[in-house]
Amino acid sequence: MTPNCTRAALSLLVAMVVAGRATAQQADARLERLDAATRPTVAALLDSARTAILPTEPLVQRALEGATKRASGDAIVTAVRRLAADLGHARDALGSTASPAELTAGAAALRAGASQATLAQLRHARREPLTVPLAVLADLVASGVPVDSATAAVLGLAARARDADLVEFRRAVERDIALGAPPAAATAAAVTAADVWVNAGARQQRPGPP
Amino acid sequence: MRPALAARHVWTASLAAATSVFGVRTSAAQTTATVDVGVSTVRYDGFLPSAAGSLTPALTWERPDAVVTARGTYLRFESGRRSLQGLIAASLFTPPNLLAHRWRGELSLSAGGSNYADFASFWHSTGEARLHYLGAGRGAWIGGTGGRTSYGSAPRPVAVAGVGVWARRAQLTLAASATRSFVGDTAYSDVGATIHASRGRFEVDGSLAARLSSHGAGHGVYGEASTTFTLGERTALLISGGRYPTDPVSGSVAGRYLSAGLRLRTPLPRPRAIRDPPLPSRSPASGDGGGSSDVTARLEVKPAPDGAVRLVVYAPAAATVELAGDFTDWQPVGLQPTSDGAWESVQRIPGGVHRVNVRIDGGRWTAPAGTTRTTDEFGGEVGIVAVP
Repeated sequence: MTPNCTRAALSLLVAMVVAGRATAQQADARLERLDAATRPTVAALLDSARTAILPTEPLVQRALEGATKRASGDAIVTAVRRLAADLGHARDALGSTASPAELTAGAAALRAGASQATLAQLRHARREPLTVPLAVLADLVASGVPVDSATAAVLGLAARARDADLVEFRRAVERDIALGAPPAAATAAAVTAADVWVNAGARQQRPGPP
Repeated sequence: MRPALAARHVWTASLAAATSVFGVRTSAAQTTATVDVGVSTVRYDGFLPSAAGSLTPALTWERPDAVVTARGTYLRFESGRRSLQGLIAASLFTPPNLLAHRWRGELSLSAGGSNYADFASFWHSTGEARLHYLGAGRGAWIGGTGGRTSYGSAPRPVAVAGVGVWARRAQLTLAASATRSFVGDTAYSDVGATIHASRGRFEVDGSLAARLSSHGAGHGVYGEASTTFTLGERTALLISGGRYPTDPVSGSVAGRYLSAGLRLRTPLPRPRAIRDPPLPSRSPASGDGGGSSDVTARLEVKPAPDGAVRLVVYAPAAATVELAGDFTDWQPVGLQPTSDGAWESVQRIPGGVHRVNVRIDGGRWTAPAGTTRTTDEFGGEVGIVAVP
């Protein structure tokens, strides 16, 4: 490669980097809604996330949420920093190929109490996107289902269930809880219709002959 | 559900995205206790009809891969005679990763006894192994049972072989099975189908079966139906009736019956996110206005025809309703009133997990009902919607 070619390639590389940073800065223009003291700190966190190849949009949104809710600058920075850490942990568990939506859902699942090992198991168990299984996992925990039970249920379904099936599963659990079933029991009953209908009798609770 | 519809199907889900649920680690198992109190009219084959009162306590210990149930029944007939029955049954499913994809194993144990008027006593103990194939919304199983049963004499061996299939669509489940049973020198085959449907507070079960190739256990067609209507968190109404065959294993005599009863159950654990104390009326998450911040709003997320999402907030008493979320860059969006106290906005929301808040009459930002509310990190609360 000649010196001229090298210079041209370096110039092009520099231009691309500058353009990339300019684009990123342009996207961050939404951060104008933050106060002047908070904005640079959040921008630095975004840069760090970008360097770590983490999605920055969830971080921007978390900062904007704080701004809309008139939270203090410290609270906003703490929230963004925590989310960035959660996204990093989710990426560690789900792998570098995880989509931003998966990472966001994974971060929520970790925050709910799921372990990184669970996320890794889900990645191995399911080829399809994990956004919905992770959302269901975190949602079950939020609904009162013990973490262990929720994890077992979602892992059991992840390999074979479509997103729509998981949605229906979640609805069944939600409905049963609303109608009075203990969360873990509702999860157990809904994890597969087979559990209700083909088990050898221990779950029979319907009325029968005297 | 058709895939095309499923892809557009929008659902609400609540995520524990905040510290309120972080660290919630209760036991994986949960225990439920119920007591059924009922009255029945029953006519055992070869006997006159009789009215009876029943009391049936049950205790269930349950986790996703295992369940143990203990159940007893005290029956008192109008003649003054009484019957006692007891059963303990357990099922244990293999872990998902133990067998090949889509296959699960199940091991079950059952032991029970009954006593009628101090002169007729049964007991049985059996074990069953099943292999399940679990597909998406359908499945099949094959299994075998072995054990012993006794009716006031030397125990008799029990052997049962069975196969079954099932399919589930939304809130409807259909199942069919065929078994061949040997109890001592008694042999019989049962083929039958069951249906289970639920809608709102109602659950309905039905079964239709036939006993064939029977030597010593009777022949015929049998059918039962039952419904459970949930009255509240701790109560439900039960109605059931039908005709059932003799069960040589447990010792029940063929008959027909009609029963009605009330089920009482123990209080249930409360979800942590719902248990969170109400927020103060003014918080760092408050808006400027002093509107009716405590008005309860309910959010529903529905698919729109063009792939967009229709956000509907039910807030009948509201004068203005705003919504903000990570799909609006947290800019408040005013909703338009429709009818019946509903307000709506159509948004294009990418698939994934989203956070959302609602503000009524310029009050504070709240997480609407319809989602499991959880605390945000700014001293308020947030709701989560997930769009697949």
